[in-house]
This record gives sequence, structure tokens and C-alpha cells, in this order.
Amino acid sequence: MDGQHILRSFRRLSVGTRLVIGLPALSVLVLATGLVSLRLGPVPIKTLDVAWAALSAMGIDGPSVDRTAQLVVEQIRLPRIVVGAAVGMALGLSGTAMQGLFRNPMADPGIIGVSAGGAVGAVTAIAIGLVDLFWLALPVFAFVGAALALLLVYGIAAVGGHISMATLLLAGVAVNAFLGAVISAIIYLIPNEGPLREILYWLAGGLDSRSWDHVWIALPPIAVGAAALALTARDLNLLALGDDEARSLGVRTGATRTALLVASALVTGSAVAVSGSIAFVGLVTPHVLRLVLGPDHRVLMPMSALGGALFVMLADMAARTVIQPAEFRVGVLTAFVGAPFFVFLLIKNKRQVYTL
Amino acid sequence: MIPEKLRTLGLAVTLGLSLILTACTVPIQPTEDIQSAAQAAPRPELRDVPGIVDPDNTGWPRTVEGLNGSTDVEAPPKRIITASVGHDEMTVALVPLERLVAVGASSKDPTYSNVAGLLAEKPEISRDPETIIAQDPDIIVTSPYFPAEGVEALERVAIPVVQTALAHDAEARLNNILLLGYIFGEEERAIEFAAEVQQRHDNLVAVTGAKDVRPSVLALTRYSDQIWVAGDGSTEGSIIEAAGGVNAAATAGIAGHQTISLEGVIVMAPELIMITQPLAYGAEDFRQDLLNAEALAEVPAINRERVHIVDSKLFTTLSYWNIRGAEELARILWPDDFPNPPAEGFSQAN
Repeated sequence: MDGQHILRSFRRLSVGTRLVIGLPALSVLVLATGLVSLRLGPVPIKTLDVAWAALSAMGIDGPSVDRTAQLVVEQIRLPRIVVGAAVGMALGLSGTAMQGLFRNPMADPGIIGVSAGGAVGAVTAIAIGLVDLFWLALPVFAFVGAALALLLVYGIAAVGGHISMATLLLAGVAVNAFLGAVISAIIYLIPNEGPLREILYWLAGGLDSRSWDHVWIALPPIAVGAAALALTARDLNLLALGDDEARSLGVRTGATRTALLVASALVTGSAVAVSGSIAFVGLVTPHVLRLVLGPDHRVLMPMSALGGALFVMLADMAARTVIQPAEFRVGVLTAFVGAPFFVFLLIKNKRQVYTL
Repeated sequence: MIPEKLRTLGLAVTLGLSLILTACTVPIQPTEDIQSAAQAAPRPELRDVPGIVDPDNTGWPRTVEGLNGSTDVEAPPKRIITASVGHDEMTVALVPLERLVAVGASSKDPTYSNVAGLLAEKPEISRDPETIIAQDPDIIVTSPYFPAEGVEALERVAIPVVQTALAHDAEARLNNILLLGYIFGEEERAIEFAAEVQQRHDNLVAVTGAKDVRPSVLALTRYSDQIWVAGDGSTEGSIIEAAGGVNAAATAGIAGHQTISLEGVIVMAPELIMITQPLAYGAEDFRQDLLNAEALAEVPAINRERVHIVDSKLFTTLSYWNIRGAEELARILWPDDFPNPPAEGFSQAN
């Protein structure tokens, strides 16, 4: 029995069975990656101390741990891992939603201009020096930029309360190009090295120095958006049958699309606000999981959330350790790994017809 | 037979014509160039300076080898542009101010430039070759960071361009001064100025080099949330060494400038942290965040509150002003040895 045969057999299982097998398996992987990631870092800390320190951070008392070890785990490693998991979850989920909504396996969270809008917001905050006055300026501007970009794209595509998906796609392309030009113009016009360096490294995406503040900025909107996306999973399946069919089965197509777009923008904007642009997670994660799990969004949505979290956590673990004590950019690593892997999948499965 | 008078006349006419022809084929040189060529004798200080092709040639034209290849400088440049802060700082020390005809925005910005006050009234150029050509320069000396297409565009309009790398360490910095002096035809001033810089460096190292126990120093900046550290081969690293410290990042195996997490700071355990970013870009906030970070409480520099904000332009520029940076840091590290502030500046070209 070859791998393809096993995959086909797995995809024939019921939704419930696939979730019962897949969710715990991926959850264990995410948890294990989190624990290994907690263990790794420039400061050597014993595994048991890491465990006790992590439990203590969650309010569970245990044996006392060296103070520095406790603080490193609690204040440096744990929030960073949590932010990474939340960002990955957001990007995986919104990638799945966008690919389902546009019925296009090449769609990703950036397609509606949200990522570029977030980037323009962040770059503006850096360029005008607001980040030096108020540390929340960057995530707030990124979030507002993402929301404005969505409003713009949505405003262009909505006609009489209906959204044309083709127009939405084209509007996204146009707005993305425009916002890219805005970023280039800002970079070109900045005379000084400091902010320029800041912008370029922010654009490369990373999880450096993430704190619990970043967790509290990103997690609530991501949780709300993720819940909304999970609720639309069934409708997303029906939308794949075509609008008339979906309407006849009780789907309010316009409202569902709007909800999907807003929720995707919410989670993507929140992720971009705390991590910069981390590439390929939203594109590769749903793609890979669809090959394994099939196209049903009721399975794909929760699994993509976990898959995205796993992808970003692994990339961050590598970013923190490959050249330690120095660090690499997570966004660069995800692109390095994601792009060739994506090409490999395309070549390997080029005869397979993707059904969304 | 040709009569004797006619022969004499013919000889005189031939000689006269020869003299006129000879005079016409000798290139006409400006008087001052001839004078300078005649006065300048080869200087041993110019030997072994990378970039000077023939140190014995102190006349014109002269050839220098830059990163962009070989360039002939036909005459002493009168309208100089450098398009680099470090080069501008050195040029100001070597030639009268009026010969530097325009500068980039960073050279006029007191956050980044140590000679901003002198250059405030200079016309501003960008990296667009046209803005440079508009200033009618007769030479451009610039850094490797100037875009290659820009260099080609300037060379196409017959402006000599010399691209030179600026050094991080003291000895190579003297070579930078001597090379620039040679390019500008100011080798005497360059030799004199290099000696002045060397003297200040030697005075410093005479004290700091004798220290048996050297404190570990970490040079940090933070832009947004990214913490940058200066490792081996960085300007800050060479300043730390000259000031009598040990670069903790270089010891930890970091080369150049890299990002680290707070954990990296814990592992390197510096005895002193210097923040080399401008105050305008959040240096004080960064200092407070470091001092208040619970996880760093065991780091010697933190628990002894030895986190200092230094004047970033002395520590990040690539010119002789780094000596001032080293002097400032030495005062922090060894206050008993350096009770008085160092001399504010350096001598200027007349």
C-alpha cells in the first residue's frame, strides 16, 4: 500500500473521523514543538526547569526554579512561542478561507490587500517616527492599515450590496500594487538609515522580542476571527457548488462572503500587526493539508489553524537557534522553506486535479 | 650655389618654425599645476597606501585604484562631491570647505554627521546621478554603497568616480585619509592630519592598551522591537577594543551587525552596555526597558546600572571621528585615567 493509496483512503473517511484522528495528532505535534522550542535558546536551561517554569507561568506551582531561567521562559520564550502560534493559526485559517472563497489554490491572505495595507500602516508609523514615541503605534497602525485596505477593496468590488468575486480579485491585485508602490515611495523618500533599516526588517517578518503585550494585542481579535471563520466552514463548502446551488441550500451568499472577508482581514491584520509580513504560511499550509485531508472546509479550517501554528513555530525555532546567539528572520525562513516545498508539491502533483 | 645670406636666412626660418611647432606640441598646463608638480616630492608615507597606484607620482595626472577600477585624476579637483557621510567628514578635514560643493542629506543631519554644522549651507544631492551632475563636480569619491548603476551613469558623462571602502580599524583609517588626500592633491595636509589622528589614537591606546583586566562591553541598538548587536568587524567593535574593552558580541561569535533576543544579552553577560542609537530614535526608552527587564537582572551591566547612551554619530560613522568615540567610551570605562573630556574636534584644512 503506497502513500497515495493511504491518503485516498484517509480522505474517504467521514468528517468526524478525520477530525478525531487529525486534530489530536496535529495538536500533539504543536504542543511538542512548543515544548522543544521552550527548551531551546542561548541560555541553557534544564528540561525539567523549563517545564516547571512554564507551568509556573500558567499559575501552576511546582518546585522553585532558578530565577533567571524562570524569567527567560516566562518573559522571553513563552510569549514569543504563543505569538508565533497565534500568527501561524491566523495565517493558516485565512489562507484556507481565501482559497475556498476564490476557489483558487493560489489565493492567500494577501490577495485582498490586507497584508499590504498592514505593511503600509506599519511602515508609515516607522517613517514618521511614531514608533519611537508610542510602542503600540506600530501594531495599531498596521491593524488600521489592514482594515482600510479591506474597506477599499470591498468598496471597489461591491455593487448594489453584491460582491463580484472577479472584481474583488482584480481590485485586490490593483490595491496590492498601489500599496506596494506606497511602501516603495516611503522607503525611497526616507533620508536616514535608522528608520530605513527598521522598515526593511519589519517587512521581512519576525517574532523578535515578542512580549505578553503582543499576545494580548493579537490573540483576542484572532480568536474572534477564527471562531467566525470556523462557523462559515459549512457554507464555504456549499459556495464551492456555485451561488445558485448554495442559495437553494439556504446559504446567504452575500452575507457569508462578507463575513469571510471581514474575519479573514481581522485575523490577518492582527497577525501582521505583531509579526510583520510572514510569507507562504497562508499559501502552503492549506495546500498541503488539502492534499492529505481533502477539500472539506469543516476539516480543513481547524486543521489549517493548527498546521499554520506548527509551520510558524518550527520556522521560529530554527530562526532562534541556527545562528545563535544571533537570530534569523522568521519571514525569510518561511519563504526559504515554503517556496521550494510549494514548487515540489506542484511538480509532484501536477497531474492531480485540485478540487476546492 | 646658394648665397651665404640666403642659407643663413633659410636656417633662421627653419629654426623659428621648429621652435613654433615645438611650442605648439607641448601641452599647456595651468601655472599652479606646474608649480605643484614641481614642488611635490615623493613622500614615503604614501607608499603601501591601498589605492595609490604610483606613490612616486605626485604630479598630474595621477591614477588611483578604487573598487570600481582604475581612475585617472587629471588635475587637483576643485569641485568635489562624495555622497557619503564618512567621506564628507574626511574631505572637510583635508580641503578648504569651498571645494566640497554639495553633500547628501545625512551629512547635513547632526544626528548622523560630525560635520553637519560646517555643511549646513551646502547644496543637497541625492543618489540620483542627475542631482550630482547638476553641481558640476570634477570628481566624485564615494562609498561601496553608492549604486553601481549610478557610478556607471556618472562615468558615462566623463566625471571621474572613485569608489573606496572606509575602514573600521585605526590603521586602515589612516590609509583612507592618505588616499583621499592624494586624490584631492592635498597629500601634505593628509600626512599632517593622519599624524594628528594617529597621535590621538596612540595617546588613548597608551593607557587602555596597558590594562590587564578588560571589561566586556556590548554595543546595542533597538529599532522597533529588533535588538541589534555589533559584533566582530564592526565599527563599534573596533572602538570598544581601542577604549580598552572586550567586545562581548565578538567573543560570543557574532560577526558584523546581527539581531539578538534578550536571551542573547543574558548569555553575553556584558559588564557595560552602550546604546549607540540616536536619542531621537528611542535610545532612552531602550535604556529604561533594559534596566527594567526582570530577565536581565543578573546581567552585570544591568544590576550595576552601567547602561550608557553614547553619541551615536561618533560610533557609527566611518571616519577619524571614531577616535572621539573611543575617547568617550574610555572615559566611561576608565574615569580615573581620563578625568578630563577629550578635545572636541580635529584640525580643519585651511
